[in-house]
Amino acid sequence: MTTRTAAAPNRTHWNSVLEATLVPALLVFAWQLWAMTLATDPRSPSPTHVATTFVDLVSNGGLIGATLQSLGRVVVGFGLALVCGVVLGLLMGSNRRIRDIFDPIVESFRPIAPMAILPVAILWFGTGTPAALSIVTYAAFFPLLVNTVHGVSRVDRKLVLAAMTMGVPRARILARVILPAALPSIMLGSRLAMGVAWTAIIAAELGVGAKSGGGGSGGIGQMMFVFYAYSIDLNAIVVCMIVVGVVALLIDRLFRFVEYRLMPWRH
Amino acid sequence: MTMNVTNHRVPEQGVSRAAGVDDPASSQRSEPDAAPALPTATKPGAIRRIVSTRAFIAVRSFAAFLALWYLLAAWVGNPIQLPSPLRVAAALISLGADGELFDHALISTTRLAISLVVAVLLAVPLGFFMGLSPKANAYLDPVVELLRPISGIAWIPLGLFIFGVGDVLPVFIMVYVAFFPLLLNTIAGVRHVDGKLVNAARTMGVGRRAMLRHVIVPAALPTVMVGFRLAFAGAWAAIIAAELIGSPSGLGFAIEWYRQLLMTPKVYGFIVVIGIVGYLCDLALRALQRWLTPWAEGMELA
Repeated sequence: MTTRTAAAPNRTHWNSVLEATLVPALLVFAWQLWAMTLATDPRSPSPTHVATTFVDLVSNGGLIGATLQSLGRVVVGFGLALVCGVVLGLLMGSNRRIRDIFDPIVESFRPIAPMAILPVAILWFGTGTPAALSIVTYAAFFPLLVNTVHGVSRVDRKLVLAAMTMGVPRARILARVILPAALPSIMLGSRLAMGVAWTAIIAAELGVGAKSGGGGSGGIGQMMFVFYAYSIDLNAIVVCMIVVGVVALLIDRLFRFVEYRLMPWRH
Repeated sequence: MTMNVTNHRVPEQGVSRAAGVDDPASSQRSEPDAAPALPTATKPGAIRRIVSTRAFIAVRSFAAFLALWYLLAAWVGNPIQLPSPLRVAAALISLGADGELFDHALISTTRLAISLVVAVLLAVPLGFFMGLSPKANAYLDPVVELLRPISGIAWIPLGLFIFGVGDVLPVFIMVYVAFFPLLLNTIAGVRHVDGKLVNAARTMGVGRRAMLRHVIVPAALPTVMVGFRLAFAGAWAAIIAAELIGSPSGLGFAIEWYRQLLMTPKVYGFIVVIGIVGYLCDLALRALQRWLTPWAEGMELA
């Protein structure tokens, strides 16, 4: 975030680096000081312990494996939601009657939090990957659907009418005119959906882990719960939290980057 | 293949099934219930117009949905996995009759209200401070941007250790979740106050306090309200997770409790309640938004 000022004079560059790092550095320093006044139990959390735990967890492969497992679920769940959300969104956005039919159902499911689906998912699929997947898909579905509908209903009527005048078949108009015109909205929906999905997978894995005695769900969410429930290793929990944050940030940046590459005219 | 067949059959059966569900005691007389709809449909004029309104279409959609659910439940044939809507309605009535439903809903909404108030008290003043002072923003924004990607859910294990299982954990998680949309929207609202308004006020010799109170706050409030609704949406999703994992009461706890007891109709009943309470809260917030910021018509959530 601070590297953008490279072209600016040196003094302001250092100023902005200072501004960006001063308060976080002070906070970490205060944390370290506070931790040193506590008992010298190696499990009590402090920045240095968190750093060494991070190295340990990465070098034994557990952290990377769990993160990849969670990410894999998010990607698959997001893919399912993308297909369902965009297809239904195109139909609802372009056809008034379909919209009227599905709108009440969609709106009544929207206030039901993804985690409320968890008990049902456990009943249906057990405590493995499918239960987590269904929650991720459910969570990612709504932002995708709502934004697709919004994007499609905002498509310039003139474009559609022009295509109709030229005798383009309906299905082709949908694929070649409406879909590209709604793409910015769909991309926004994708970014929001991916963020929600990443939160939902942590919640799902935590919940499954908490409610099935460790269970076989795996993933970084469950890893956190195991550290809480079995070893009370706060450093490891903090490491997992940081990884969760970094992955969320990377997902967000990746989607912004793709948005920028696909639609540079919007920036 | 069978799914397709049931799908086509739904509209014809829909209305009568739903009429039965509304009143479980009379599920057998679904035909008489549906009958009064006919004469109204043939009457011309106002009533007919009502029938073709969105409300009627919505009722029809719900009817089709309930019918589909009913058929699916019959097809699955496993009431522990998917009870029929009639059983869920019966469970809801019994939960409502012994008051358990209202107890849990009240606990959850109280926690929600407390945490939203705390989040507003923390985030809005800080947002005004950061929005008005570029220097404060430059120093504090990095901290916000470091913490924001860590979802509230990820704080649950640490929160469990610090606060234990109980009331504080869900409130803590919700305050954390609600804090960021409120803060960011407040900052954005304060920053995007129309410069012309500020200059006009300054030309007329308005002092700092009056400027804040009569110019900046009213101009920023619509954006703050949008942040408040986003905060509510996030908090409502988070409370279910927090209660499910780390609380001995509340709606999130109830669904998981009855799941473990394999009393599935009650699980579905509470899920319905979660949806209804969430919907009602959103309605209330929209009303609040219109009441507090009537000058912000047309500003909607992205």
